[in-house]
Amino acid sequence: MKQNDMAGRLHLSLMSSKVEQLKEAAEWLRVHSEEFPAVNRNAKRILASVAMLQINLGADEA
Amino acid sequence: MNDDVPFWNPYLETMSREELETLQLKKFRRIVKWAYEKSRFHRSLYDAAGLRPEDIRTMEDVRKVPKVEKSMMRDIQRKDPFPYGDALCVPLDEVVEFRQTSGTTGQPVYQPDTWQDWEWWSECWATLLWAQGYRPRDRVFLPFGYNIFVAFWAGHYACEKIGCEIVPGGVLDTKARLLKMQEVRATAMMATPTYVLGMAEVATKKLSLDPARELGIRRITCAGEPGALVPSTKRRMEQAWGAKVYDHTGATEIGAWGFECSAQPGALHVNEAMFLAEIEDLDTGEAITEPGRTGKLVITALDRIAQPCIRFDSKDIVKFGVDPCDCGRTYRLMPGGVVGRADDITKVKGVLLAPSAIEDVVRSMPGLGDEYEVTVEKRGDVDHILLRVELAQGTTDSKSVTEALATELRVKTNLGYEIQVHPYGSLPRYEMKAKRFKDLRYIG
Repeated sequence: MKQNDMAGRLHLSLMSSKVEQLKEAAEWLRVHSEEFPAVNRNAKRILASVAMLQINLGADEA
Repeated sequence: MNDDVPFWNPYLETMSREELETLQLKKFRRIVKWAYEKSRFHRSLYDAAGLRPEDIRTMEDVRKVPKVEKSMMRDIQRKDPFPYGDALCVPLDEVVEFRQTSGTTGQPVYQPDTWQDWEWWSECWATLLWAQGYRPRDRVFLPFGYNIFVAFWAGHYACEKIGCEIVPGGVLDTKARLLKMQEVRATAMMATPTYVLGMAEVATKKLSLDPARELGIRRITCAGEPGALVPSTKRRMEQAWGAKVYDHTGATEIGAWGFECSAQPGALHVNEAMFLAEIEDLDTGEAITEPGRTGKLVITALDRIAQPCIRFDSKDIVKFGVDPCDCGRTYRLMPGGVVGRADDITKVKGVLLAPSAIEDVVRSMPGLGDEYEVTVEKRGDVDHILLRVELAQGTTDSKSVTEALATELRVKTNLGYEIQVHPYGSLPRYEMKAKRFKDLRYIG
């Protein structure tokens, strides 16, 4: 699949929205785990990977 | 997953020029705003220049942003918070990685990275390793001293990200590393060009092992020195190992910004989705946008957040290329890669001399070994160049080698040299960055 044609862009858009859902879930876990380091720190690492996913999809916020 | 796809990121690596520049401008504006808001150093630098982040609207506006020099980073880290200083844009407890520069050009600079920065480092490396043919089926041997220097750390994590099997060859001597590579049947490795040649020498001389026939290395990624794009050095490495050798360039303060792809175009691609590369005229500082004209690289890491690298004066000498690459990437090419350093390229007897030109001549000369040293000094009022070379193992006729070398150097560099030929094995060997060029003319 060519990522820069119309079909590819729709696919990218769908992937970006899934990444946004991942981010929301990881952010929720981080916020609700202040007393639970094993969850909190792993959620933070997921958020770093999510940021990389957004950069890779050109979907990071301006 | 399909491992045969040619691009790590098919979206970013094949963008049109217009899309790439739109992306770069968006990211540049964001990182300048981030630095202005989060770091005292950047705010005062930009305030002193009368610049506000919102003043950057077009690519032409990028040049309004003051450059940062390495010497400024050294001053910054004398301030709080310890040990990084006030260019730090995140709380200290967000920093998860410490590295430092090698100090080749002075006091080392400390580099903090968050976990997100470290993800970004390995992503940049994954891009280049995939472009050089690394795939999950590779078993990658890393013969470097895992320590405070960034060296191949990000290559290690990028291999994990790709799915390669990593064999860390940290605290082993060269012989043990070679034997381990043979034992586990490693398929790829990463090292400085100096060490790639040094390992081959140890293999043949001390282990009676021919790397090209008896080790299964198929590809080697080089970094730390420009040798992998110096044609004669690349040829020596490829012949010694029976492997494809690829260049990669980057720096601790910047990131992994350039790479040679498997098409081996004799050039580096700039990873333009992650970096904004500008070239400036060495004398006037004016922007160079046209291909083929050499200048100094000023570079921005567009996504690095802990200690941003914005318009960093890299002092690397580069030029843009003309043709698109056969690999299909739209990232611009820099022919010959980093051909020198602004603080290395020097005038000798009124002639511009790049150390890499001497390296290319020495290593293209049959009968000579891989090691050499150049010393420039004043003899009275006249510049004098002493070149010390080594004969190759088994070569005894130094007279004809010296004559051929002098002629070739005269043709390629327009300069005359005092040439000293030494027996094989008598010049120093290096494992990391070699310092083979010494300019002593201005030392009291």
